[in-house]
Amino acid sequence: MVKPKYAIVGLGMVYGPYAEGVTARGAEAEAGRLAIADAGLKREDVDGALQLRRTAGGGERPAWADAFPRMLGLPFKFFFTVGRGGALAGLGIATAMGFLDLGIAKYVLIVGGVEDFKNSRRTKAQGQRGMVHSEKAGYWGKPFGDLRAPSHHSFLAARHMYEYGTTSRQLGAIAVQERAWACKNPKAKMYGRPMTIEDHQNSPFVVEPYHLFDICLVSDGAVAFVLTTADRAKDSPKKPVWVRGLGSGEVADELWWEKKNYTHMAVKTAKEQAFGQAGIELKDVDVAELYDCFTAEVLFQLEDYGWCKKGEGGPFVAEGHIGPGGDVPVNTSGGLLSAYHYGDLTCLSEAVMQLRGEAGERQVKGAEIALVTGHGGELISPGMCSIHTSLVLGA
Amino acid sequence: MSATEVAKGNVMTTYAKPLPNVDDDSRPQWEGFKQHKFLLFRCTKCGAWYWPKAFCRNHENAPMFADLEWTEASGKGKIFAFNIHHMAFHPGFQPDIPYVYALVELDEGPLFGTNIVGIDPHQITVGMPVEVAYDDITPEWTLPKFKPVAK
Ligand SMILES: [Zn+2]
Repeated sequence: MVKPKYAIVGLGMVYGPYAEGVTARGAEAEAGRLAIADAGLKREDVDGALQLRRTAGGGERPAWADAFPRMLGLPFKFFFTVGRGGALAGLGIATAMGFLDLGIAKYVLIVGGVEDFKNSRRTKAQGQRGMVHSEKAGYWGKPFGDLRAPSHHSFLAARHMYEYGTTSRQLGAIAVQERAWACKNPKAKMYGRPMTIEDHQNSPFVVEPYHLFDICLVSDGAVAFVLTTADRAKDSPKKPVWVRGLGSGEVADELWWEKKNYTHMAVKTAKEQAFGQAGIELKDVDVAELYDCFTAEVLFQLEDYGWCKKGEGGPFVAEGHIGPGGDVPVNTSGGLLSAYHYGDLTCLSEAVMQLRGEAGERQVKGAEIALVTGHGGELISPGMCSIHTSLVLGA
Repeated sequence: MSATEVAKGNVMTTYAKPLPNVDDDSRPQWEGFKQHKFLLFRCTKCGAWYWPKAFCRNHENAPMFADLEWTEASGKGKIFAFNIHHMAFHPGFQPDIPYVYALVELDEGPLFGTNIVGIDPHQITVGMPVEVAYDDITPEWTLPKFKPVAK
């Protein structure tokens, strides 16, 4: 095990939907303010800021000339944007570690905000559905109606169904169990709205094989956290959350000519690296915050990390395991499917709360090790999310 | 939504869907579709086929893709994976609901994203042989859709 050198010492969250006049930029600044206060710091203590942004999905988000550090009044020495699809937290931490390691920064503020729900209401008035992205040069699928993430992510579910006989009902078991977690999280969009497997099966097809309830939410909100070095973390008022392992992989190492990359994610190298640094095994993971843009992504990760064998994810989740009271607590906030979609900052924020023991009714007792995964980017036209990041956090 | 005014003979029609998003790496292929030619990027040294454009992975490459060129391919393949869109994310697709977006495993190897037309979506199966069916959507643009191979 590598002795942890970095820790998360502050967390700030702004939950949607936004009130009239609130921007993602403003929510990022507010989340930053909250995170600095949570860390017991002042703005002057923060040397640099990173913005986490879900780029390279359906299209680039427009870059802002103006951004949250100016609004927050940070005396920052550096500020720039990091991210690849929903893989944000791991990449942000890896980047910040470089500045901390060089001694350029003592505390780095890492922030990601979205206004996707706000935008979806605006574009709905124009006859569109879902989250409209600005165009990415050379993106293949739009003239064929490949317009939103389920247009191509559903290939993963379809292919897993074809190869292993996985059923929609089994995927629904994932949605139902995550909803049960959401019903313990007052901040979750679906709090107070329990779901049965029949509700899932009766929800309309959006892109078959995906029903509406296989698909993540579109959200407003922002998450900010402060990363610092081990020596400084010891002075933190809150219990530090240690960065114990970080790894990444790309399915690009099995590009289309292999045709094997539609039923798994690039977990292998990411897991080996992250778990190796942390000196842990799978059984040591107390809470798993797995990127869940769709139900099949959760299924794949349960198999790829080894909670069950490849192809046996369907029966595994149908038995339970991942909901409240299960032996593998997955997406304890309710996840992107039922709580809020802040990219993998949904996963990271929940892991921090769990490891601090601040997760209220949904607290997993004695949680000491959390796995946070990120997923995203579309390296492989047409439309495959290729990066996988694996982050092991410890209490 | 952006609509494109198109003159067809004397009649002005409106093409209501997104047009291809082309950059200089993909432009030659789209020029080919317009001429109803199905071009893929092929290595002149070893014969391997690529899509999208890439260096050849089988050996070292000459500078700036000099060993590869856009080459006419069979336009045939089989269904690798498919989905059925039951909702129109963009109003231009409303008349097409339900429509199919698929990955076709081309006979040359690459997986190609396209619509499957000329068949009831629920009759489509993985492995079904398909071939290119050009759709001249405007005088400027042709989409390489695919249809089942006639028996
Ligand atoms: Zn070659």
